[in-house]
Amino acid sequence: MKRLSSSVKTILGSILAVTLLVTLTIFVFKKPKENVSDTSKTLNVLNWTSYIPLEVIKDFEKESGIKINYGTYSSNEELLAKLVSSAEGTYDLVFPSDYMVDLMSSRDMIVPLDKSKLKNLENVSPLFLGQSYDEENKYSLPFLLATTVFLYDSTKLPRLTSYKDLLNEKLKNNLILLDDQRIIIGAMLQATGRPMNDVREDSLEDSLNFFEKLKPNIKAFDSDSPKTFFITKEVDAGLVWNAEALIAVEENPDLKISYPAEGFALSMDNYCLVKGGKNHDAAYLFIDYLLRPDVAQKIVDEYPYISAIKGVDTVPENELIEILNNGSYVENVGADIKKFDKLWAKYK
Amino acid sequence: MINPSRTTIPRGVFERFSQPVPAKTATTRKEKPSLFKTVFTLPIIFYALLLIALPILYVFFLSFLRSDNYGGYLYEFNLENYGEILDSTYLSIFLKSAVIGLATTAICLAISYPFAIFLRGKSERKRNFIMKLIMVPFLTNSLIRTYGLITLLRKNGVINSTLLNLGLIGAPLNLMYNNLGILIGMVYTLLPFMLLPVCSAVSKVDQNLLDAASDLGAGKVQKFFKVYLPLTLQGAFNGSLMVFTPAIGYFFIADVLGGGKAMIIGNLVKNQFLTARNWPLGAALSILLLVITFLLVKLYKKIGGNLDELGGG
Amino acid sequence: MRLIKRGGKLRNLYIFLVLLLLFLPIFILVAFSFNESKLNVIFTGFTFDWYGKLFENPDLLDAFKNTLLIAVASTAISTVLGTIGAFGLYKFQFRGKSFIDKLLYIPIVIPEIVLGIALLSIFTLAKIELSLWTVLLAHISFSVPFVITSVRSTLYAMPKNIEEAAEDLGANRWQSFWYVTLPILKPGIVSGALLAFTLSLDDVVISYFAAGPGTNTLPLYIYANIKTGISPDVNALTTLMLIFTITVLALSAHLESKKQLERVIK
Repeated sequence: MKRLSSSVKTILGSILAVTLLVTLTIFVFKKPKENVSDTSKTLNVLNWTSYIPLEVIKDFEKESGIKINYGTYSSNEELLAKLVSSAEGTYDLVFPSDYMVDLMSSRDMIVPLDKSKLKNLENVSPLFLGQSYDEENKYSLPFLLATTVFLYDSTKLPRLTSYKDLLNEKLKNNLILLDDQRIIIGAMLQATGRPMNDVREDSLEDSLNFFEKLKPNIKAFDSDSPKTFFITKEVDAGLVWNAEALIAVEENPDLKISYPAEGFALSMDNYCLVKGGKNHDAAYLFIDYLLRPDVAQKIVDEYPYISAIKGVDTVPENELIEILNNGSYVENVGADIKKFDKLWAKYK
Repeated sequence: MINPSRTTIPRGVFERFSQPVPAKTATTRKEKPSLFKTVFTLPIIFYALLLIALPILYVFFLSFLRSDNYGGYLYEFNLENYGEILDSTYLSIFLKSAVIGLATTAICLAISYPFAIFLRGKSERKRNFIMKLIMVPFLTNSLIRTYGLITLLRKNGVINSTLLNLGLIGAPLNLMYNNLGILIGMVYTLLPFMLLPVCSAVSKVDQNLLDAASDLGAGKVQKFFKVYLPLTLQGAFNGSLMVFTPAIGYFFIADVLGGGKAMIIGNLVKNQFLTARNWPLGAALSILLLVITFLLVKLYKKIGGNLDELGGG
Repeated sequence: MRLIKRGGKLRNLYIFLVLLLLFLPIFILVAFSFNESKLNVIFTGFTFDWYGKLFENPDLLDAFKNTLLIAVASTAISTVLGTIGAFGLYKFQFRGKSFIDKLLYIPIVIPEIVLGIALLSIFTLAKIELSLWTVLLAHISFSVPFVITSVRSTLYAMPKNIEEAAEDLGANRWQSFWYVTLPILKPGIVSGALLAFTLSLDDVVISYFAAGPGTNTLPLYIYANIKTGISPDVNALTTLMLIFTITVLALSAHLESKKQLERVIK
């Protein structure tokens, strides 16, 4: 990269010249967008990868005249890191899961919601309100519920029912796990018969031992799009998010979904306003838009998670109640978060 | 206009610096502050202090603080972060990363030397043409090229399906989502950085020396070790420096081709800042990287390398 | 030459293979830009659709525009700063000069990630919001030293008394810099600028740390989408950029051979 032979200079010179010209033309001939740089018209959103279809964002932009700057993250820890490392006022709206809502509110990173600004509030199903991480929904309102599930190729493997089934010889270098420290460490804890939020040293040690046994089977960690690994037949089994699994099954009906008997993770993602955000008004408009049943339907049509909006059903109600009863939320463990950070580095 | 200070400079200085000798200081002239001098020195001083010295000093400072677990830090000075680097978890990543970096450098060298020597025998037109071809990947963004690589390397990618169809392998090879994948990615991305300096150094080797070596009965291997290698050592080291440093730092290649489980130092540093929220540890890791680089640069200078040549020109 | 004849074929084959290695992933990218399927896995059929869809993808176009904008702006600024700096450092003595000199080599030799996190830390410390401006600042910070080394190599080759001569003839120092020094430095400045431009276009690591919400560059767009699957419109854009590069390469080759021919005739 760093050395240029003289004969190459002419080439690069011409490239630079033409690029300059092209850029200038783009700017001269492009109609100036109406007040896009105006801060009251832009909304800075940070959200999970593969969560809101591009179409929904574009529709909202058209309807409201607000431009959304949309950034993504793949885990709650990444979201937390991005928020603390950015200057106040960088982001307006984020979508942390349960325990992260608790953590962020306790650290004064998010502000209470003014629910009077949300006309469509009544559309939220009471089933998802008043959860332990924010009992009065002071800081958060539920958006989508994700669960971890097994996804496997039924032509190659028997039905997966327990985390121990992942140790199958057939799965050597053939398994994908979510790239998420709390979820995966939680699963390993459950695999060894402990609760998912156990922070005792010996429990964590056990989880590491189980993980070491599993290691030869793991091909990759990915939270952004584990479905791709199945669609391209890179792996035959995995512990992935429910919507990812459903999309993969649609592409390949040989793939089957099951729930781990030892328990699985629930992850309720919520709307939260970042402290110091410059455009909370626009954020309320966007939340209100997402609370509309037709919009919520569009979202789950593309990413079939469980919507918190009444009447938008991806799973029948009795099944949903069963899921809510058997799954468990990741909990905020306070300063013990460091144990998980450290252990995760060891895992990988 | 007569400048009084000029008369103090001995004439010899002009002759000396009219030669293209990259001496450390070009002039001994002392100037009184003037607008002219201010305009030509102040901006670069500001730039160097604000955009280079300050950020790096701050990282150095950070490396002695303690993380508060949430992304902030406590002003409690300690050496724990440097102690933590020696933790077996991190040491094994270092070791692996160093192996990948060295292997990348070695493979790039091994590919580049024969290429450069064979290219030497070509006519100038052909040589120019081929050097231009090398520029094409050089001008295509490395991430875009890495993305192209995925299409080739994945389980049912172009390489595996071709080999399977030809009956050369029975089951798909694991070419990515492991250390091999990272190595392939690094070699592929960084090869041009080695090809350019090595080709340029080899092309400058005096043909008379090679002829003399042949006349004295030197074989190809001898010619390489006795003539080419000593004369092109600087070029090779220059290339190695430009390959090795990115090869331990390009986290995106390890991320994409390593499947999120095979980490190099670059990922480790990135993760401390962007996931684990332990900036002090990340800072300590960066300082370690800095020290490694400075040692390599020292070595480069020791074998007579010119720092300016690292920066093109 | 006997050297060339013996084993000449094998040598050509080797050169060909190395070039193939460099180009194969690029060929694949181009091939899949004509693929009907959205997934870059199997070739299902030929289509030009993605070239049309490319212009309906505002995010991709935005990222592309940002990339060009940053590259052009950072090249312009670092070229001016680098040229002035190289000249100032060459011409003047001041306290701490050797320190500044050493500092200027740092961005050339250190791993990009170190500069990236160092800049991010400083931006956070100073509470500067990450935006296109911070990306620009970051690009300037790693480009300037390359411009300086490039300009410096021409400065050292410059006959020094030429400036003195101009000043003796009545030019003031500004004039002698503008009319005498600058034209002599032009080759160094141009190659420095080109280097800065290429570096900016290619950068992933430093931009990754310096970019904020809504400031995608092309490499960052690809990095963000590489796992969820990049649709072939990115391949189409890459192909267009390649055609552009290769055309310019071919054109310059043509011009050069013409120049050579003229030289021979004369």
